[in-house]
Amino acid sequence: MAEDDVHVEQNNARQMGNQESRREFLKQALKVGGVVGIATVIGGPVGAVKALASTETKQNATDGSAINWEGWEDPQLNVNDGWNNWDKILNPDNLPIYHDHFDEIKKVKPKHHWVMVIDLRKCVGCQSCTVACKSENNIPIGYYRTWVDVAEIGSTLQTSLGNTVTANGTYEQQIKIRNIPKLCNHCDNPPCVTVCPVKATFKRADGPVLVDPRLCIGCGTCVNACPYDARYINPISHTADKCTLCVERIDEGLLPACVTTCVGRARIFGDLNDPTSEVSKLLASNPVQVRKPEMGTDPQVFYIGLNGEISTENDPEAENLIYTYTMNTNSTAYQQLAGKSLLK
Amino acid sequence: MGLEQVYWTLPIVAYPFISGLIAGSFIVGSLSKIFGQKQYEPLAKLSLLVTLAFILFAPVGPLADSRQPSRWWELYTRAHIPEAPMGLFTIIWTTYVIVVIAEIYLAFRAPLHQLSEVTPGWKGRLYHWLTLGSTGMSEMRLRREHKWLVILAGFGIFLAFSFHGYIGFIFGAIKARPLWHNALMMPMFITSAILSGIALMIIVYSIVFRYFSFHRKVDSALVDGLMKIMIWVLLVDLFLDVVDILNSAPVAYTDQATASGFAEIFLHGPLTGAYWIGQLGLLVVALTLALFRGIRTSPLWASVASFAALISIWFMRYNTVIGGQLQPKVSQGVVLYSPALFGRGSMQIVFGLFMFILFVFSLLLMVFPWDDEATKHRLFHSTQLTNHGEQNRSTNKMLEH
Repeated sequence: MAEDDVHVEQNNARQMGNQESRREFLKQALKVGGVVGIATVIGGPVGAVKALASTETKQNATDGSAINWEGWEDPQLNVNDGWNNWDKILNPDNLPIYHDHFDEIKKVKPKHHWVMVIDLRKCVGCQSCTVACKSENNIPIGYYRTWVDVAEIGSTLQTSLGNTVTANGTYEQQIKIRNIPKLCNHCDNPPCVTVCPVKATFKRADGPVLVDPRLCIGCGTCVNACPYDARYINPISHTADKCTLCVERIDEGLLPACVTTCVGRARIFGDLNDPTSEVSKLLASNPVQVRKPEMGTDPQVFYIGLNGEISTENDPEAENLIYTYTMNTNSTAYQQLAGKSLLK
Repeated sequence: MGLEQVYWTLPIVAYPFISGLIAGSFIVGSLSKIFGQKQYEPLAKLSLLVTLAFILFAPVGPLADSRQPSRWWELYTRAHIPEAPMGLFTIIWTTYVIVVIAEIYLAFRAPLHQLSEVTPGWKGRLYHWLTLGSTGMSEMRLRREHKWLVILAGFGIFLAFSFHGYIGFIFGAIKARPLWHNALMMPMFITSAILSGIALMIIVYSIVFRYFSFHRKVDSALVDGLMKIMIWVLLVDLFLDVVDILNSAPVAYTDQATASGFAEIFLHGPLTGAYWIGQLGLLVVALTLALFRGIRTSPLWASVASFAALISIWFMRYNTVIGGQLQPKVSQGVVLYSPALFGRGSMQIVFGLFMFILFVFSLLLMVFPWDDEATKHRLFHSTQLTNHGEQNRSTNKMLEH
């Protein structure tokens, strides 16, 4: 009997507790909803007014916290927003720009001629530049403005004097690994610029080849026209995108992000018009190569120690690429490597 | 660099295909005016409507493929001419649209005016509106109109060649793609444009005149004539294809990239079937069919042969646009691509594009008096109506049946 009573009481208490907790939950839900609702109603206009009122201060802020970088998710690229003032980012000094007839650049005698020298003897293939660039320029996942291709050449030979000893015999590994940082070559005769139907991309007189994302219609002609695959269609802004030589940094007297971060100092950036600059000295004292010279693009990124382009041929004798995370996985070569089942 | 991928997808395949149909059908329409082939007169008006329906949708392909199509106006305000091949499109296309519309106005003004006088109601008003209120029917005026029609048709043929030549230029100018950077690109595109236009006109003429014309009759002599022209264009097209293949052999000595690209994409690669069976095989099939007199004079079989030619031309566009991009620029292997069913750059877009064209073409067929026999009959019929009153209508109807 007593046990039954206890049961009943417990049931009642549980029911009451359930009812109470339900009520509590409803109350809390209403409270949270109300707060969120009121916050939205008040916060929206306040945020908008704040954003409108504080563009000036944001532009001048130096600590980085106040910069209102909305990322690529705002493809409207509002000029009133300080950071998104593309005229200031792309060409603050109003240097002459060229859409064709690049031989006329010499006539205006630009103050600077920015170039990059990449000393392959010093590159360790750490991909720091790849990361620095993605971080600096907010590059979407799967796309790169600079990347380091890693190639392997050579073979494993069975010899009696080899230093690799196995149960089946001794081997000598005659293998070389070569790291080749790649980026837009900022060509003096850029084929990607001439084909643009709306003059959205241009070459600035001091060297960088840039894209104005407010004008680009995203037709993809320049992406196809670049022999170095240095351009891509940005999946968020839906316009052509490429290395800018960190133009907003070099205009402020800084180095490009990839150069700053390079641990082996394999990337050297400088002014070719200045005979005392490091790049001028390097170019004067070393044999240099450029990528795909047969294209006639006159690249302005010079390599020390580049023995021809890495082969894309399916040839075991040729230098072949190793699959790093910057390599093209969208190919039959990767299919062969990974096995078709892995891709599905 | 992204993952290397096919940047120009199916709408760009449809783009030269549609432009080719424009160029070809316009040339077929001009046969009677420029080349003095009077037996093709029934085709003149019909082919103008075909040209208009297709030309209105020619820029939809590249716009559907571009990522910011709402900025199309930049193509006019910031046109990069003549350096950018794509920029030339704006000029040539705009001129061509104006020429085609002017040509349609001149060709249809007189019959539209006559019909507007005998047709009651909103239809009559529509006809009157389409003539832009011009009512002159004097002998001299009609002769002058015809003279201008011939001049515009001549200019239109020049435009048809440049319209399609520059598409070859778009691909030929891109040296980063070894399979596109080819001097044969332009003549190949022009020939295949004319071929596809003739093939399309054979099919359209057979269907429209069989089912929608006044006499419901297809003139097999006319089809035969068109097929004979098609044989010659087919031969030239086939010749250029063979030259292209032979050309890749000596190129192998000088340009490793072109030779290996051709081998790994078209010889033992993803587009081997599309090239040897789709592009070349169907062309040979069309040519073989066209050689038989029985097939040439039968509208059904002529349409089959023409359809084979059209499919072959589609494969040619596909192999050029997609095939060129399958060769990687900096990485290894062949780029993977399979056309999407739905979404951006998919078959859905291309299907919709062709359905739009069909819709506009049907609309044009309903509005414009393209069938001279039907127009004549309607004019005659209505004069009888006014002369003899309502009674004759039934007898006329009986005569019709």
